[in-house]
This record gives sequence, structure tokens and C-alpha cells, in this order.
Amino acid sequence: MRSKAATLANLHTARYVITAAANALWRNRTMNVGAIITTAIMLITLAAFLAINDTLDQMVVGLGRKSNLIAYVRDEARPSAITELVRDLQRRPGVAEVRYVTKEEALAQFRSQFVEQADLLDLLQSNPLPPSVELRMNDPAALPALAGELRGRGDLFDDVVVPLDVVERLTSISNVSRAVGTAMVIALTGVTLFVIVNTIRIAVYARRQEIEIMKLVGATDWFVRGPFVLEGAAIGAIGALLAAITLVIIYAQAAPTVARIIAFLPISTDLEFVRYLAVFTVLVGLVVGALGSYFSVRRYLSV
Amino acid sequence: MIVLQEVVKVYANGTRALDGISLEIPERDFVFLVGPSGAGKTTLIRMLNRDESPTSGAVFVQNVDVTRLKPSELPSLRRRVGMIYQDYKLLPTLSVWENVAFVLKATGEFRPEARDRIASVLKLVGLGERHGHYPRQLSGGEQQRAAIARALVRDCPILIADEPTGNLDQETGWETIQLLVKINALGTTVLMATHNRELVDTMRRRVIAIDRGRVVRDEIEGSYVG
Repeated sequence: MRSKAATLANLHTARYVITAAANALWRNRTMNVGAIITTAIMLITLAAFLAINDTLDQMVVGLGRKSNLIAYVRDEARPSAITELVRDLQRRPGVAEVRYVTKEEALAQFRSQFVEQADLLDLLQSNPLPPSVELRMNDPAALPALAGELRGRGDLFDDVVVPLDVVERLTSISNVSRAVGTAMVIALTGVTLFVIVNTIRIAVYARRQEIEIMKLVGATDWFVRGPFVLEGAAIGAIGALLAAITLVIIYAQAAPTVARIIAFLPISTDLEFVRYLAVFTVLVGLVVGALGSYFSVRRYLSV
Repeated sequence: MIVLQEVVKVYANGTRALDGISLEIPERDFVFLVGPSGAGKTTLIRMLNRDESPTSGAVFVQNVDVTRLKPSELPSLRRRVGMIYQDYKLLPTLSVWENVAFVLKATGEFRPEARDRIASVLKLVGLGERHGHYPRQLSGGEQQRAAIARALVRDCPILIADEPTGNLDQETGWETIQLLVKINALGTTVLMATHNRELVDTMRRRVIAIDRGRVVRDEIEGSYVG
């Protein structure tokens, strides 16, 4: 009987909290719409930064995968030393695949890649192409150090070729972008929190008498706080939802165009990440809104 | 039962509002708390629902030391102590009925049968016909009666009134006191802080006089001035 009464009381409280939050959202609609738009703008910027960071990361990884480091083996290099080095390279972090290409394989590869010039090779008495060790990377950031190390093995290799410039530049852009992105995430989350906190603080101030009376008659903290937390969460979530929808639309429109313009770079047009980002953005809005409101109303609860 | 033991309250600015007050108010008692402005009446009253905490000493309400309650336990205390204020503290955007019902909603006790309870309380205070009016549409006396109805609707065993007749004319003040006497007769302990000499002298109830934060007089059938 007692638990039924408690359940009924909880249901009444939940109904009150939802109704009060909905009323407050409507009553303060001008201010709330402002807060929602500001939140949406902040979160679009935030999500855009995250999307750019992800694109840069994908580009770096994509280029890294394509960046086959090729080390041309000296004629006089001992086969056992090459075999040992290949085994060693396979165990290195950041290395996806190591392949030893024999002279014959190199020739076959040349013939298949340059079909029209294949006759040139027939003019030669012997196969001029050297054997090589080719590396495919998981982590392009490891490439410069590895290239330097192999160049230092003059006893084994004549030359080491690697498209370092593009990868290095992209890696450094990605690092800068990640640092800027992190700072932006913190700053924009802070600004969003500030906007929501102030919107709710004004709402709390307008209803301070009601809050005081509620506390004096024995309302629980959650009865007082609930409508404000829900109102803040709604502002954050609606703003974030607008941001997420905008982000998905812009990305779906812009990514294929950018990928077409910069065809040589592996820009992903996959919407899956953006969908995750949209869900993340909505969650950020919801949590920031709820937390902001929670702290806004706290000082008025010490009656 | 209300018990105060050596209660001292010193505010941050150094004002000693209560200076070692001890007193006992048994259940069903009707007590006037009198004294000049600044004597400490309101501070004492605010101790009883932990609107204020003492600097030292203990305050027992129904055998619970309210000074030791955690913040999460305060709602339970405040549901047992009905408060009536000089400025009524009614919500202007709610009707009389809604103001009374609001207390039940705020404490999670609003049930369909509560409507009958609200109706009977409003009838008891003489506002049965004016339940749909807003505070601004009521006289001072009616607003005070609405505030009393709000305090009564929860069947609080203790009713504390801080200058409830302070804003009322003599006749309305008298009606309010009669209402509190009626409520006391139904079993509620009533503690009322007042400056109204005539009412206190006419009622001849227990009078606790305080001055400069100390109890200076405690009489069973007292008067405003000893």
C-alpha cells in the first residue's frame, strides 16, 4: 500500500516536472529560442571542427596506406641480411605489410604498369631492375624515422624512396588541427554552457519566490530542480539537434564535391562518421544543458 | 513537542540574535511569542523549520534534533511544521485553490481525494466561495486566511505564525486569531509571534517574552507586558 502511494507520488512528481518544464519553455520562448539558436551555432562549429579533424586523420591514414616506402636492395647485399631485416620490419609498430620484391617480380610489375614501353626491356641483355623491400604503413607518422633508419643501412640499400613531404605536411596539419580542435571543443562547450546557464538563471530568478515557497513547504530538491534541469536539457538537445541536422546536410552535400575537386586526396564521403557525430552532438547538448541548469538552480536551493 | 536548549545564534556581522534560549512547548499548546522588534522572535521561529541554523545549542521538533538534519531530511521536517508569514508568501499567478493544492503537489501528496480536503480547509478558513480568486483579488485578511489554509492542508501537527496579523486591521486580525484558536482546538500546536498587545491580553494564553535574544518571561496565562 505504502509502495503504491510512493509510486503514485513519484508519478505525480514526474508529471509536474514535465508539465512545469514544458510551460517554462513556452513562457520564456523568446529567450529560449535565442539560447537554442546560440547553442546550435556553437555546436555546429564544434561538430564541424570534429568533422574536419576526422577528415584530416582519414587523409593521413589513407595516404600512409598508399605510401609504399621502397628501399632498393644493393646487388652485393647478403640475402640472409635482407631476410632478417624484412622479419624485423614486420614486427615494427606502424608497419602494416613488408614485401620483398625480387628482380623478376619487379620486371613483371614494370611490364604490367608500362605495357607500351615493355619492348624497351627486350633491348637489354639483362634485367636492370633491382630487387626491393616495399613497406605499407598503418601509421604514416612512423614513416620518416623508418626511412632515415633504412637510409643508414648503406650496406643493404642503394636508395630509399618515400613520399614524405605530403605525409609529413598532412600529419603536422592534422596535429595542429587536433590541438586547435581540442581547444575549440573546450571553449565552445564552455560558451554553450555559459549561454544555457544564464538562460536558466534568468528563469530561476524569475521564479525565485516560487522556489522559496516550495522549499519552505517541504518540496524535495528534485521537485524544485527537475523542471529547470529538464528545461535546460531541452534547450541543449533542441539546439544540438538543429546543429546535427545542419551538419549532416552540409556534409552530405559538400563532401562529394570536395572529394571531386581534390581527387588526389582520399577524402571520405562516408556519412557514417557524421551520423555518429550528430548523435554525439545531441548528447553533448543534452548533457551540457542539463548540467548547466543543475548548477544554475543550486544556489536557490539553500533555503 | 518543541524544545530549545541553550540556543545561540550569532550572525556573520556579529549580531547576537539569540543568546542561550531554552524553552519547551508541549503538544497542543497555544503560545504567543512577544517582544520588541529585533528581540529575536523571527530568528527563533526560523530555527524550527531549519530556515536558520543555530550557532550552538539544540532544537528539537517532535523529538528530532533539527540542527543535525541533513539537507535531504529537511523536506520531511518542513512537512510537519506549517508556516504562516506576515507577507503571506502566496504565489500571485495561482488561485487560492491552486496555492493550497501547490503544497500537496510540491510534497508529492496530491491525490484525487485531496480535492475534498482542500475544499474543507478552504471552508474552515472561510474561503470556500473564493477558491478561484487570485491573491490580488483578495483583501489582506483573506490572503492571510489562504496562507493559513495552505499551512493546514497537510495536517501539520505544528503551526508557526510569524506576525500573521501584522498587515491586518484589528477586526481581521481578530478573525485570524479566532481561526488559529479553532485550529489549536483540533489538536495542532500553535506558536505565534506577534506585536498585537490587545489580542495577547484578550486571549490570556501562554506568553513567552524575549528581549535581546533571551527569554525574559514565560507565563501560563500571560499578557503582552508582564
